[in-house]
Formats: sequence, structure tokens, C-alpha cells
Amino acid sequence: MDPGPPLIAVSAAEREAVVGRWLARVLATYPEQTSRFLAREPDRFRNPVGHALREGLPLLFDEVSGAFDVARIEGVLDEIMHIRAVQDFRASEAVGFIFFLKPILREILAASGATLEALDRRIDQLALVAFDLYMKCREKVAEIRVNEARQRLFVLEKAAGRRM
Amino acid sequence: MHVLPALITVLLLVAAGYAAGRIEALRFFFGAVVPLAAVAVFLGGIAWRVLRWAASPVPFRIPTTCGQQRSLPWLKHARLDNPATGWGVLGRMALEVLLFRSLFRNTKAELHAGPKLVYSEEKWLWLAALAFHWSFLIVFLRHLRFFMEPVPAFVLALQNLDGFFQIGAPVLYWSGVIILVALLYLLARRLWDPQIRYVSLFTDYFALMLLLGLVSSGLLMRYFTKVDIVAVKQLAVGLITLSPVVPAAVSPLVFVHLFLLSVLLAYFPFSKLVHMPGVFLSPTRNLANNNRARRHVNPWNYPVKVHTYEEWEEEFRDKIVAAGLPLDKE
Amino acid sequence: MSETVPKPDELVQIDYRPPVRDWMHTPVQFRRGTFCYAAAPKNLKYLEMPNPRDWQPMDEDWKLPENWREIILEGMRERLEKFRSFRLFMDICVRCGACADKCHFYIGSGDPKNMPVLRAELLRSVYRRYFTLAGRLAPKLAGARDLTVDVLKEWFYYFYQCTECRRCSVFCPYGIDTAEVTMLARELLNLVGCNINWAIEPVANCFRTGNHLGVQPHGFKDSIEFAVDELEDLTGVRVEVPIMKKGAEVLFIMPSADYFASPHYYTLLGYLLLFHHVGLDYTVSAYASEGGNFGLFTSHEMIKRLNDKMYREARRLKVKYLIGGECGHMWRVIHQYMDTMNGPADFLEVPVSPVTGTRFEHAASTKMIHICEFTADLIRHGKLKLDPSRNDHWKVTFHDSCNPARAMGLLEEPRYILRNVARHFYEMPENTIREQTFCCGSGSGLGTDENLEMRLRGGLPRANAVKYVRDRFGVNLLTCICAIDKATLPPLLDYWVPGVEVAGVHELVGNALVMEGEKPRTTDLRGQPLASIQPPEVTHA
Repeated sequence: MDPGPPLIAVSAAEREAVVGRWLARVLATYPEQTSRFLAREPDRFRNPVGHALREGLPLLFDEVSGAFDVARIEGVLDEIMHIRAVQDFRASEAVGFIFFLKPILREILAASGATLEALDRRIDQLALVAFDLYMKCREKVAEIRVNEARQRLFVLEKAAGRRM
Repeated sequence: MHVLPALITVLLLVAAGYAAGRIEALRFFFGAVVPLAAVAVFLGGIAWRVLRWAASPVPFRIPTTCGQQRSLPWLKHARLDNPATGWGVLGRMALEVLLFRSLFRNTKAELHAGPKLVYSEEKWLWLAALAFHWSFLIVFLRHLRFFMEPVPAFVLALQNLDGFFQIGAPVLYWSGVIILVALLYLLARRLWDPQIRYVSLFTDYFALMLLLGLVSSGLLMRYFTKVDIVAVKQLAVGLITLSPVVPAAVSPLVFVHLFLLSVLLAYFPFSKLVHMPGVFLSPTRNLANNNRARRHVNPWNYPVKVHTYEEWEEEFRDKIVAAGLPLDKE
Repeated sequence: MSETVPKPDELVQIDYRPPVRDWMHTPVQFRRGTFCYAAAPKNLKYLEMPNPRDWQPMDEDWKLPENWREIILEGMRERLEKFRSFRLFMDICVRCGACADKCHFYIGSGDPKNMPVLRAELLRSVYRRYFTLAGRLAPKLAGARDLTVDVLKEWFYYFYQCTECRRCSVFCPYGIDTAEVTMLARELLNLVGCNINWAIEPVANCFRTGNHLGVQPHGFKDSIEFAVDELEDLTGVRVEVPIMKKGAEVLFIMPSADYFASPHYYTLLGYLLLFHHVGLDYTVSAYASEGGNFGLFTSHEMIKRLNDKMYREARRLKVKYLIGGECGHMWRVIHQYMDTMNGPADFLEVPVSPVTGTRFEHAASTKMIHICEFTADLIRHGKLKLDPSRNDHWKVTFHDSCNPARAMGLLEEPRYILRNVARHFYEMPENTIREQTFCCGSGSGLGTDENLEMRLRGGLPRANAVKYVRDRFGVNLLTCICAIDKATLPPLLDYWVPGVEVAGVHELVGNALVMEGEKPRTTDLRGQPLASIQPPEVTHA
């Protein structure tokens, strides 16, 4: 999909409301005390999970309402999916947070009819991108497993190769 | 979920103290016997605790090092955060006990998302903890004027310093205000921060509320309902000289204060409040990191089953020979 | 999070927050990828450890001995009397929460029982119930609970989810050390045969053959010879590595991964070049062929059983002192336990560098020095001929390994070396290095394959700081002085921060060393051509 013109004009206040509520719902997928920590600790090094979400979700929303540049979306989503792919989530849960955006948009944005439908389509698209990235992460994990086992016996393998 | 039971317990204790002050038959018991017994339990309990800790040896020297070790002479050694000598340990312990060095450590949070400056919570914890403990000490020392005649000069000096700004009449002591604010902060933090609330137990709330009750009753007596100071002093001197008298002019509020103090004293050795003497014994802090320079002896070091070289050589003899490595026993 | 698949519309609106329940009454769930497998019975039998049997943590029945509760409680009583640290740490925590967000597992996983305070409370709640008056009289009010099978399972899950890194201990106002608590908790679990194979198998191997991998004498010799051949190919210099040579001045002991795994192996090449460069009279041993000591992750007794080989071999070979290689937990054992357990080493001499004459007074009793101390001293005295431009293809950062940082204070020696052997060195942010360093997430025997997801989570704080220097300065190499780091940081970085490699400090020393009689060096020790390697583009974060 090529980047297009903005789909809908969003005021700064609306953007803040949507993003705020979205972040809150995503954080709510973690246990209570965890979600408070993720939401409140501002230091990006002590709270990388919260930081990734806080930085990432607004950018994703901008793409959904704006140009929908898939390359940019992947850049942002990648960090989030890396985290969710190794947390206690099933695939559906790891990706499901994208859909939280649908009801929130209905509640907050002054959009209707065709625009909403178009937004929904983009959110679906976003979820598919997220799913691809999720799968890539899981494949990476599998690959790491194999590599790690090989590195552990590196010298043995190399020495065997040399003597042959 | 432990908050309410703690609050109710403290309120019951307040009521009990107040009632005792009003019921003639109980006044001597609560004014003299309970406080003296509490002091005895406190002293005995602390001694028992410390002896019990001391009875367990320190088998290994396990300081947590928080700075550069003393190794090569041209590398700057962190004398306080990683002490290598007894003096260094003294310095480290002093920083720890007097200034709460470890709690302070975590104030650095340089990179914040967004332009907003957010205070790190840990700094407030350090500040509140420090404020509470120091003002508690000052309040405690100020109270010596009730127990000693003539009042020692340092107590008077402390009192003057504490009331330096001469606000109001009676003069406002800053320590009293600070301790109240600090305690309220510590309690609010426990309730408000979900992490801390999750780990908090009954005893955590109980200790805080007991202290709040103690402080509030004291403030109440000093600034709001006047009590007969002469009578209080008589009571106090009687207690300290072990010839207790309970003058009729001692008001029930004094009994509340005294009873909460008694409970605190008696509770102290059996609760987490023993961290006060305990911190001095902590092996990760009170030992010098000179492990490789001086041998630390473990009193219960016992022989264990090992795999000796001779056994090993026997087991792998063929392979050692095949590899052309030297044998001890041909 | 339940195990049933949610309906699509649930996904949109559900609040996944679990009901607010007391932590004491939330039993643990064993989910794949977040725990280590149980120790194989053959290993326990070999070591004569209790209750060898076939079982796995996700089994309902753990096949505990009938009187398991008495065994644990008796074990607790014994340890309370033997360790002041234990009794004290059980008594004085005020639950101030300063440690809560200091644990890499908590930061990366968000599981509240990974807060160090709660990890210790798992044990404290039982301590209070059986060993304090208040807990016996009013368990609810005292925060005490009965020791049940669920509690034991919880212990297993969370005490094998602590890497004993001691980061929380730095921030604790009373110095309560979760590593100490975890070590004792694992001792208790070991009493009833609840242990993990990734810790016990290396222990069994090490006890028998002398090293974690179970490499026997001929295998050891092959590995070393292979390295010598490789070095000759790379540099044109043939070094000599005396194995079990009696009367050598120094016995050098390294973690076995150095001669078996990658990228450790390049560090070994670095050591060998260094020793040859300064003409050190040293030897290595196939008997004491392991620096690491997984006993540290098992029990104090096991530390002693395995560590015994070091002094024993030094005595047999009649060396003057020992030098130890790059390994983290190995150095916790050498620095804080060895002399006490297996000393006094009165048959050895105070280490003196034969090259510079420096007397290492700080090791006067233990008689073992860290290779970084040895090398830093050499560089300081100008005894090494170095060409740091040979490391120009690396933009380097340094990861402090937990144990050298927080159980020793070996912070500046490796940095001094790095600044002299490489020209591009960048520090990670202040609150992620030195005594505040973040663990790799795989220490203390948890670096196993089945635990990978948990490790990737636990390593996130470290990876995140690496990412920062990669994006900011173009860092493409993380150096460290720990064998577990070298094994587990490559996968971690591959996942979170692709493009950053991992190396030991002495690999870079080896690259930079200008050897007498060497051929023109066209590659680094990894065999990568020196000229063609370019650092990645710097993208400012």
C-alpha cells in the first residue's frame, strides 16, 4: 500500500485522548501492579517496555489517521512486537492490542460512515503487519535456539572440520 | 487489604489509652506498670534479637561492592563504596546509617521521555525516610527534658535550634511538623503506589499508623489541648527513677500518648522495626572488601567429598596416556 | 491470562487485569519458555544428592519425599544458625520497595513476584510462620503462611528465576542481598531434590572430569592444540601452551567455555598471544580445567567440592600463584569463597608479575589474580607492544558482569585495557553500568534453551542500553569478562539489537598485540579481514 494523503483531520486534543486511552488499554493487558509501573516509570532504561509503548503508539495512530506509510509503521511496530513476542502472551493476545483502537476511535473521533470504515480497514492492515512481525520474532527465537546450541560446541565443530 | 485492620487496631489502642486515663483504677497500671514493662520488653527484646543474630556466625565475607576495588595502586579506589579497611567500613556504615546512602543512590534518572521533568520516586522515599528518622531522633532527645532535672544543656540547645524561627506560642518545633509530614508521605506512598501496596503487610501499616498516633497525640497536647506539664514531668521522673507516681493532674491524652509509646516499645523487637539495630550487622555492608588480601575464617567449615587428582588420574589414565600428557603415577 | 482461546470481540475490550488477589494465595503457573527443566536423576545420583527421580516442573506430582516439609524446615533451622545473613535478611526488611524495580526480570517481565522484596518474602512468609513468635500466634497479621506444595513450587519457579546478580542489594538500605537469599533457598530446594539440570549437569561433569562440558584430558589437549594451530595460521607465530607442567610459575585457569565455545574461543587466542608476548612461565591443567563453578548455583557445599581442584592442582604442580581468566561467577567464588573454604593457600606465594615486578598485595592471601589485573599492570608499565588501530573496525562498549562488579569491584581494570587496545570506546548510560550494571538475564544456571523467552525478557534492560549506544555512537561490539555473558548475550543482542557482536576483553588485546616475528596481520582473531570491515552508519537516536 502506498502512502496516501491524511485520511482524517485530527485535532491535537483528539490525538492526545485517543493515544492516552489506547496506551491505558494496552498497559491493562499486564497485571495491575505491572501496568502501573510501566505507565509511571519515566526512565527509558529502567522501563523499556513502557517506553516502547509510550513512544510507539502515538506514531502508529498518526499513521492510521495520516499517510499510512508501511515502512514507517514497521519501524515503530517492530520494537513493540519484539517485546510482546517474548512475554506471556499467545499470538492473538500479542497482536490483539491493535484492535483496541477501533472502539476508541468510535468514542473519540468525530468521524462517521465511510471514514470509519476506511479507518477500520487500516487498523486491520496494521494488525496484519503486526502479525507478520510477531511471526518474524518467533522465527528469530527459534533460530537463536539453534545457533546458540551450535556456538556452545564451536571449537569441536571447527576442529572436526579442520581435521577432515 | 491490610490497611483497615491496622487502622482499627491503632484506634482501639488509642481508645484503650484514653479510657485508662479516665478510669481511676487503671491509671496507675497504665501510667506506671505498662510503660515500665514495655521498656523492659524493649530492652530485653532488642538484646535477645541482637544476641540471636550474633549467635549465627558470618561464614563468608560477602560485601556488596559499589565502586572500584583496591587493587593496583594507580587505579582510583572507591574507599567508601568499596572499603578495603576497617576505617573505610566505618565510613560506609556512617553514610549508610546517618544519610541512607543506598536509598539515595537511585536518584539519577537523566533520560526522561517527553519534555516533562518528573521527580523520581526514590528520591522522595530517601528524603521522607531521612526526615522521619532524624526528626524522630530530635523529638526523642527533646523529650529528655521531661525525664531529667536539671534539663541538660544540649537538650535546651537542641530545643532552641528546633524552634529557631519562634513561630507561634508555644513555639513551633520543626521536628514535630516534619515527622508528621514524613509519616503521612510514607503511608500515602504505601497506599497509592501499587507496587508497594502489593508487597505491604499488616505490620507495615500498623507500624506507620502507630507512629502517626503517637506523633499526633503529642502534637495535640503541645499545640491544642494544654496539659499540665508539671504533672507530666513528675510522672516521667517517677518512671525513670523507678519510683513511679501518677499525679491526678495527668490528663487522659497523656495516657494515650504513653500507651501508644508503650505498645511501640514492646512491639519493636518482634517486628520489622528491628532493622534499627539490624543494619549494623548486615554482612554485605559491614565487612571490608579485602577478601583476597586477608583470609576470612568460617567457624563451621567442614571437609567435603572431593574428586582428588589421584582419583581423576586413575579414572582417565588411558586417555591421559593416549594424549601424551604427564602422569604422576606411572 | 487463561489458557482458553478468547473470542475475537473479547480481545478488543477485555481488561486482562487479573483479580486483585493477595500474592500469598496466587499459585504459580508453569508456562513453557519460562522455566528450566529438572535435573536428570543420573547426575544427582553421581553427586550423591537427595531424591534423584524422573520429574518435570509442569508435572502435578513432584514426587517429593514423604517428610519433605520436615526436611525443609529442619534445613531452614540449620541455616538460620549457620548464616547470620540469612537470619538477618529474614528479620529486617521493611518492604520499602526501593528494590522493586531494580530487578531485570521484573523490568522485563512485569511479574510482581520478580520484585526482589517479594522474591524474598516467598521465603520470609514461611520463616515467620515456623520461626517467629508472632507468626506462630497470629500468622495472618504477621504475614506468615504454611509451607505447602504450592509454596514449594513457587519457590522453585522464582528462585530459579533470579540470576543472583545482586543489583537489588546495591539499592537496599540494609544491604539485603537477594543473591544470598536465593542461594539459601536453592540449598533448601536441593534438600528435597528440586533442582535444574542446567545447573546440576555441569556440576556433575565438573566434579568428574574437571570442567562443565565433561571434556576429558585428550579433548582438552585437542582443543588447546587446535587453538595453537589456528593462532599460527592467523599470526604466523607458534605459541607454546604447557599442559600440566610441574614447576611453572603460574597456573592459569579459565572457564571451559573459553576453549570450547564461541565467541569465548577468541578470548582464549588473546590470552595465549599475551602470555607468549611477555614470555610468562605458566601452565594449564586438564584436571583443574574449569574456572566456573556451578556449585554457586547449587549449594555452599557444592561450591567447595568443585573449587577444591584449584588449590589442589596448584599444590601438585608446585606453581607460585594462580591467574584466572574472564569469567563472572568464577570470580565471585575465587574472591569471596575460595580462600575461606579451601585455604589457607600458604603453599603459594604472593603474586608478583614476573614482567613488571608488581606485587599484587590485594591478593596476598588468596594468591590468585584476575587476568585483567595482570594485563592492566603490563600496559601501565609499557610492557606490551600494541597497535590499537587493529581494532578500528570495532566500536566498543563494555558490559560490567554482575559478579566482578558487585562482588569484587573490578571496574576500571578492563576499561583501562580497552582504552589502550581500541580507539573507539563508548560507555552505556550511567545507571546501567558499573555497580548498577544490568544482568545478561541468564546467570546462575538459567542460561538454558528451554528458558529462552524468560532470558530474552530478563535481558531486555541490558539490551536496551546497548541499543542506545548502537544508535547513538554506532557501537558494534559489546565486550565483557564473563563466560555466561559471552554465551548468552549474542542471542540476546541478536534478538533485541541486531548488529552488535560480543567479545571478551582479551580478544581485543590479542588483536592489538604486535607479536615478535608475526606475519602482516590481515585479519583479526576471528579471521575477518581487517580492512574491509566498516563500522555501521551512525544513526542518532
